[in-house]
Amino acid sequence: MSATPDMISCPVCGGKVLIEFDDKVSHCGYCASPVLGPSQSRNCTNHPDVLAKEVCHVCGDLLCEECVEKRVGDYGGKLLTIVNCTRPDCIAASDWAKPLNEEYQRLANMEWADRADNIILRVTGGGAVIMMIFELIFILGMLFMQYFTSLGSLFPTWVVAGVVIPGLPIIVLMVMGNLLAAFLLQTALQVYVHERQLGSGVLLLFVLIIEAVFLLWRGLYFNLRQLPDPTFLLTLLSAFIIGAFLILIGSIGAIYIGNKKRIQLKRAREKLGLSA
Amino acid sequence: MPEKDKVYTIFDRPRGLRFIGLLQMAFGVVGLLATIGLVVASFFGSSELPGGIGYVYALLLFVGVSLPCLTIGNYVDDLRRNAVIAQIIYSLAAMGLVGLFLFMRGLQYMWTVPLFEFEIVVAIGNLSALIVVSQAFVILYLILAWSNIVPPAGAKVIRDRGEARRYERGLVPLPFTPAVLASDGMTELSEEDSRRVLDVRKEFTAEGMAVLCSNCGGATPLTKVNRNRLVCDFCGVTLGVSSIFVPCENHPEYLAATTCAVCGNHFCRKCLTAQEPPVDTRWAGSTIFMCRNCFEGRYRPAVTTTSLVIPVDKLFSTAGARFSKVGGIYRRFLGAYGGVMKHLWRLPLEMLSAIGKGGGGGGNDNCAGALIMMVIIIIAIPLIAGLLLLAGAIVIIPFLFYAGLIAVTIEAIKVIRKTDFQSIDVVRIQSIVEKKMPKQKESKLRPATRSWEASAMDVAWTRRDEERRRRSEGKQPAQSFWEERY
Repeated sequence: MSATPDMISCPVCGGKVLIEFDDKVSHCGYCASPVLGPSQSRNCTNHPDVLAKEVCHVCGDLLCEECVEKRVGDYGGKLLTIVNCTRPDCIAASDWAKPLNEEYQRLANMEWADRADNIILRVTGGGAVIMMIFELIFILGMLFMQYFTSLGSLFPTWVVAGVVIPGLPIIVLMVMGNLLAAFLLQTALQVYVHERQLGSGVLLLFVLIIEAVFLLWRGLYFNLRQLPDPTFLLTLLSAFIIGAFLILIGSIGAIYIGNKKRIQLKRAREKLGLSA
Repeated sequence: MPEKDKVYTIFDRPRGLRFIGLLQMAFGVVGLLATIGLVVASFFGSSELPGGIGYVYALLLFVGVSLPCLTIGNYVDDLRRNAVIAQIIYSLAAMGLVGLFLFMRGLQYMWTVPLFEFEIVVAIGNLSALIVVSQAFVILYLILAWSNIVPPAGAKVIRDRGEARRYERGLVPLPFTPAVLASDGMTELSEEDSRRVLDVRKEFTAEGMAVLCSNCGGATPLTKVNRNRLVCDFCGVTLGVSSIFVPCENHPEYLAATTCAVCGNHFCRKCLTAQEPPVDTRWAGSTIFMCRNCFEGRYRPAVTTTSLVIPVDKLFSTAGARFSKVGGIYRRFLGAYGGVMKHLWRLPLEMLSAIGKGGGGGGNDNCAGALIMMVIIIIAIPLIAGLLLLAGAIVIIPFLFYAGLIAVTIEAIKVIRKTDFQSIDVVRIQSIVEKKMPKQKESKLRPATRSWEASAMDVAWTRRDEERRRRSEGKQPAQSFWEERY
């Protein structure tokens, strides 16, 4: 088996690369990744002694760190980093993207928080999932007791236009509880994003308080203490306590780490004299 | 490009083939209606169908006409070889049987079909002749146009309209074969050879920095690079060398394959995942690669790529949208019903005029019957449909709503457990082992975080279409990022 002379495989995706130039980069026909030409030097175009580290997105020249300009550009909402050389026409062709402030990027680097953020996400997320699942079990259990057992008489009823509708308070209040738990779950996932961490941590704490009060009030309103078998109530309470505790810990962590990040960004801006 | 390597899309099918598909489906629907009619007539003890013979006829009609016509008609216009062969065989059989029927009964043969209080006279001889002619046309067309309607064996056919549209517009690159390629980079290795390659390949080397093969995943030392090419030690494929000659950020033992499109750092195949190209002519037809951090939206300058977070305001849009869906269904039903009504109007009006002209005894009864039929058609059917939908909605919507909430919870559990980041290296090996193309994984959460995508796609496609039009009109070609610069 011999290799086809003019056809090589892309090192990134394996697509076919047609070598068009001997001393310039060619591009993969599949993913457009640049691939070195067979006799192309691997060194910087401007500094023949220095190994190239980047390739200009405009002219395709190989560049060392000294010759590189990095930019961040917006493609329909997706921000991408591009690299161009310092030739005027390449700069002009790249002006759709804004130059990247590498010093600010370094000062704003938040990799230090990766481990903590992972734990916070899992703690808050785990707690919120427990709350969500048990809210779902709560409504199913209540509906079952209302419509399929004699315990329905324990629960309050509402009168709408002179008509008594059994189970209406359960449906309305429990659906509200489910929606609140879902909102809690969504907020719990937001803590993973640097920018939203502080805000979502505070919001999470606030929503948790509302959810806790609402949940306890529902228990009292539905006379759950009067249930002959306390298992249902105890199970719900245990789940609620575990879920609420996890969310509480997670949200405090999110507020703490989020605030540290806020201070880090503030200091970075101050140091570089950037506006807020 | 060899014919078998060409990619066909559903838009490549000729109109004649589409017509044949619709014609067969129409025959199938008529056959199904006739089957239902026979079953109903037998059930109510029609004197024309004694001793349960109606059920036998219904079964024969269903198995002989309805089922094959609907099945073959559904597939024949999808550029499928077997369906075309089945259609030719079926058309030949139909022609033979109907021809025999014509020979025995003649062209003038009529059937009188009861319909409630009325009778319809069907010129079954003429209908048979129509079937013979149409099936002859079908056979002739399929044979003459064989090369246009049957793609070569092994050729890829994109039948999904959305994917075909993206492919036609150059936004979906060709997928790879889910098998290890031979050293020519083209032909697939046998199963046995593939297994052998996967068994011997290594992901490390004692000879310094290595390049991970995009074909088999094996690591070949960089010292073996010759004229910026590297022959994989395990599968023999000739790999190009990426334009960046720096180690991977996370694995210094590997040469970086390319840069992350978002943060611009260098990574190997184990650290990158692939995403659909950004919709812009500058990047058309290309895939972008992202590292895990950027995929998860952790890179500060560009957090918009996140796949983790569901925007709060979008939370209930999916679940809540189901409420409006029922209304939408009813609206569409009324629209379609109104369209059909235009034609249905004729029937009761003609009946009324026929009753008026008849002037015989019992005219009042007939007239009342026709009026009742009109009332049923115009008022009762939409009303019943609306009530049924409403009743269904009351039961179904809460279930769907809660199903939505449960789905959100499951997604959240997945996110908490592990993100859906899949490296291109892992996906490649998985596809080889499982012998199927890796499915493009679309997170249920992503559409909500990529609300810009649909409108941006539209803009890009419009721009692309305009560019093509300009080119075809011989005007100055539009700028193309890669083509122009290199």
